Amino acid sequence: MEIHYRIHRPLPLAVAFRVEGFTALLGPSGAGKTTLLKALAGLLPAEGTPYAGLPPEKRPIGYLPQNAALFPHLTAWQNVAFALPQLRGADRERVARAWLQRFGLAHRAEHRPRELSGGEARRVALARALARNPELLLLDEPTAGLDRPNRDQVLRAILYAVEEHGVHALVATHDPELAHAADRLVVLDAGRMLQAGPGDEVYRRPATLRVARLLGFENLIPGAVAGYRPPHVEVATKAGILRVPGNPLPPGTRVVLAVRPEEVLIVREDRPLKPLDAGNTIAGRIRRLRRMGPVVEAEFEGAFRLVLRLPRHVQDRLELRPGEPRRIVLKPRYLQLFSEEEEASFSSD
Amino acid sequence: MIEVLLRSLLLAAASAGLLLLVGPLLAYLNRRPYPGRTLVESLLLTPLALPPTVLGFYLLLLLSPGGPIARISGLSLAFTFPGMVLGASVFSLPFAYTAYREAFRALDEDLLETARTLGAGRFRRVREVMLPLVWPGIVSGTLLAFAHALGEFGVVLMVGGNIPGKTQVASTYIYDLVEGLEFSAAHRASIVMLALAFAFVYLTRALEERWRSTTGSTGHSRSR
Repeated sequence: MEIHYRIHRPLPLAVAFRVEGFTALLGPSGAGKTTLLKALAGLLPAEGTPYAGLPPEKRPIGYLPQNAALFPHLTAWQNVAFALPQLRGADRERVARAWLQRFGLAHRAEHRPRELSGGEARRVALARALARNPELLLLDEPTAGLDRPNRDQVLRAILYAVEEHGVHALVATHDPELAHAADRLVVLDAGRMLQAGPGDEVYRRPATLRVARLLGFENLIPGAVAGYRPPHVEVATKAGILRVPGNPLPPGTRVVLAVRPEEVLIVREDRPLKPLDAGNTIAGRIRRLRRMGPVVEAEFEGAFRLVLRLPRHVQDRLELRPGEPRRIVLKPRYLQLFSEEEEASFSSD
Repeated sequence: MIEVLLRSLLLAAASAGLLLLVGPLLAYLNRRPYPGRTLVESLLLTPLALPPTVLGFYLLLLLSPGGPIARISGLSLAFTFPGMVLGASVFSLPFAYTAYREAFRALDEDLLETARTLGAGRFRRVREVMLPLVWPGIVSGTLLAFAHALGEFGVVLMVGGNIPGKTQVASTYIYDLVEGLEFSAAHRASIVMLALAFAFVYLTRALEERWRSTTGSTGHSRSR
């Protein structure tokens, strides 16, 4: 489904992209995500296709604002039944309960919204939106403020809706993990579309440093182009020459290398490295370790500081300790190269 | 005694009913900001800070046989029961209006918008979403206005004139009794008023509690 929309108020926004299956709309707060969803729902004036000019009541959409917006005076099944005005009495209740059943919420049917957890409330809201048989779901931050189990359940519910009911879902989020689960990814910032494409591709190859940051590339390493050895650009950094895939750039160009904390790897000294990877190692010390649920976050200090995140089972094998010397490897395929001019053009936004 | 008590109850019911007719509409219209809303709301709430005698004095001028209303309609409401209803209503308006306003302001706009996206037209949105959510506030505001009008003294004295058998109500009756040093009769009447006032305020609070427990949340994740 192609979306072409232009909005003037409350903020100017112009986008053109394709929604297919589960499409994530990623962007920082204030990027215009909510504005776009509301405009698609018909709650804000906009020009474009599809649906422009139709009142919200007539659009084949299902809209979930950030707080799920369940009707507080109705039970879970009555909330779903609200979307089924064409049915009467027992039929209406039966169909509403069946929708709850599909989302694993049959046992919560008689409960009011205030008795539901945040994740349950959003699943009820999803069931209610789907009960109308829409062609497009518009979900605003469906996992915001949820704990991990609830978040996973909501994500599964979205995937279920998309896969089993053939509905398209446009999901606004600033959660990179949710974005990674998407079939397609649209990156929005300050009313502009920065990048759109298949989820994995955008996730792996962000077009700009700004997009990379939004997608969890937390480590940024400044440097300058030193040469080109196909297919790698050689970049001089404080830690020496690092190789990164890319197109040739004039020597001396100021660049930034970006890498995710999850993709900085500790060298296992008992195992040989591939020659290419061996050139991208940096010696230094582990400064700090912090447990964060199933992952351990480590701070590495060599020629520059890097944040690492490793699964607990990896830490159990490596047994990193604060203060001990270690080498890390920045594998070329996990490195992204951005020129600094790009960066300058963002900060002027 | 029974007669003045009944007149007090009738006065309170009539003014609460009058406020129920106009108050929620005012609150609905003032739900969203517009230029001059502060001015309008301040006017509606001014009786809160006004000495009842001042309000009664102006109402008297307005309603007197030579006043503007009489000149237009030929109807003089001064020293009549309808005049007292009008006075008590204006004086109780701030109480009712504040409760009505809170009810409409607490109404989450997301709910009405989501109802629209679920295919509900205006009629369904008002009947199935708005009214069920605001009615407890409207009921509690109306009960408060009733309780307040029941005990009103200054305005009904000024506008009604405390005419026995015609415009005398419980509060002015008790005043007369105390002036005449009939303390035991004043005591009997007062204790009935005390019980009534307490009962109505209690009822209002109880309703508010129940309201909060059924319509507290729309499914936000809250920290508990």
